[in-house]
Amino acid sequence: MIVFAAFLLTVPWTIPALINDFWVSVIAEILIWSLFAASTNLLFGYVGLLSFGQALFFGFGMYGVGIGIDQLGLSFWPAFGLGVAAAMAMALVSGIFAVRLTWHYFAIITVVFSLIFYFLAVSMKWLTGGDDGINFTLPPTFSFGATQWSFADPNFQYFFILAAVALCFYLMHLVIGSPLGKAFMAVRENDVRASLIGLNVYLLRLTAFVMAGFLAGVAGALFAFFGRYASATYMFYHVSGEGLVWTIVGGAGTLFGPIVGTTLFIIIREVVSTHWEHHSLIVGTMAILVVIFAPKGLVGLWRDILDRAMAPRAERAVSTEVRTEP
Amino acid sequence: MSDPVLRTENLTKRFGGLTATDNLSLSLRGGRLQAVIGPNGAGKTTFFNLISGLLKPDSGRVFFRDRDITGLRPHEISRLGIKRTMQIKSVFNQISVMENLWITRQASQRFLHPFRPASRDRATRERVEQVLEQIGMTALAHRIAGTLSYGDVAMLEIGMALISEPKLLLLDEPICGMSPAETERAVAKIRELARQVDIVIIEHDMEVVFGLADDITVLAQGAILATGSPEEISNHERVREAYLGRPEDEDYLEEAADA
Ligand SMILES: Nc1ncnc2c1ncn2[C@@H]1O[C@H](COP(=O)(O)OP(=O)(O)OP(=O)(O)O)[C@@H](O)[C@H]1O
Ligand SMILES: [Mg+2]
Repeated sequence: MIVFAAFLLTVPWTIPALINDFWVSVIAEILIWSLFAASTNLLFGYVGLLSFGQALFFGFGMYGVGIGIDQLGLSFWPAFGLGVAAAMAMALVSGIFAVRLTWHYFAIITVVFSLIFYFLAVSMKWLTGGDDGINFTLPPTFSFGATQWSFADPNFQYFFILAAVALCFYLMHLVIGSPLGKAFMAVRENDVRASLIGLNVYLLRLTAFVMAGFLAGVAGALFAFFGRYASATYMFYHVSGEGLVWTIVGGAGTLFGPIVGTTLFIIIREVVSTHWEHHSLIVGTMAILVVIFAPKGLVGLWRDILDRAMAPRAERAVSTEVRTEP
Repeated sequence: MSDPVLRTENLTKRFGGLTATDNLSLSLRGGRLQAVIGPNGAGKTTFFNLISGLLKPDSGRVFFRDRDITGLRPHEISRLGIKRTMQIKSVFNQISVMENLWITRQASQRFLHPFRPASRDRATRERVEQVLEQIGMTALAHRIAGTLSYGDVAMLEIGMALISEPKLLLLDEPICGMSPAETERAVAKIRELARQVDIVIIEHDMEVVFGLADDITVLAQGAILATGSPEEISNHERVREAYLGRPEDEDYLEEAADA
């Protein structure tokens, strides 16, 4: 854990030294998509809702930033805020309808919402730039007099993304361990029992849905700044599906599972896609293997291995104790 | 004390062509352990589902201590202090016994804190330990609920029902599936609880019913067949005919276990 954190903090220096500059931005991208996967994980792994709609909120985060800067002339922070607020508002509105349903009905309605807004975004050219999307010039993030920091500086860009993603994961960690997070898990485990102990299942699902909208919205806003553009492509439900695969392979219902899954697949994509155009075959095969052989994902598998490694030792300790008895 | 704790007026619930409760008007007095009995399919569980809000009646009303609770949602009814156990045992399977109790206790709070660690709540910890002791499951506190024996799950469910100081407990065949030793423990527990809280129990085991109940209501085909004290019920002509006097009383228990 500590090694991993230390590594992330030194990426802008170690990676260019070890490989090349390009991989710094790949790692920044991995961080953003991990956050996106975390939003899927909050719903699927902790509340038991299978959402194919998270790309919608990612897209709203992107467009909030793009439209905010390009059309409204906003500076960095208001545009960031607009992106996240737009994503949460959309999550609230669609959630009011979607979380009444569960299982495949819920999954289907999230796809439907995604499709509707995807086609709206493509057709409303005056607002969204249609197929071309919105390209914008970056405003500075901080400026004190003459000194400015902006995403134009790759190191600043990297650390800003790292800080934002780390903060979101920390918030998620707090939520998971809180009474609210325990209530989410109760809903996931048994929604009838949850309602009988006094939990408002509908409100809890809606709360989780808006929280997940927040995570996806932050990811989308960061991605807009990172790419200096907003585009409807990222709103397509296919993107949601990818986030779901990353989550499940990494380990749904674990805090770090989405990071593991996202990292793995983006590295595969970056390494393999330059040599072989069918890299999605590898992705698919791996996803199927993990689902069959490690239903709790790679993080779950790792934990099981650790448990098994610890268990015999514990047993041995007990048996020696027994033997030392007179 | 003699005010009805639970009252229904003309409660009807149909499933397609089948009338599960048929114009049911009954009034259960507080301070007495109330039992509801009746053959399979009599509508007992449906009656509980209508009270606890899992089902909405087609017509009729439900009153809890003179408050009309018809049409309230399950969590709202739960928050009024009506807690229940299920005939098909229902707990949170993938988490530990202790966490089951913990979540249940915290669920009764109006506000669920989103950021403070749940484990930091000392009052909840004390209450959880107290209930673990009461239901005799302290040694099993860290077992995953899904790995417990059927009797232990039933006991855990009783613990979950009582951890939030209920006003009315609805127990749907609480001892079904328990070993004789577990049954004895559960019956003692229920008798002790009955001194603090109003209880309605659905039970097929006649020995248990007649040993526990102050009042018995007999349902058949969704309607009341008889109500009265255990003696009155055991001497009741039509009850004996319809139900108690059946020679295959033992088979009956097996049927109940299979259900
Ligand atoms: N959700 C449902 N949908 C359709 N029919 C139902 C439903 N719930 C109960 N029934 C039917 O209603 C009737 C009453 O069922 P109920 O479960 O209330 O009986 P019960 O008295 O609890 O019986 P048992 O002693 O077997 O538990 C039965 O015929 C049952 O098949
Ligand atoms: Mg029943």
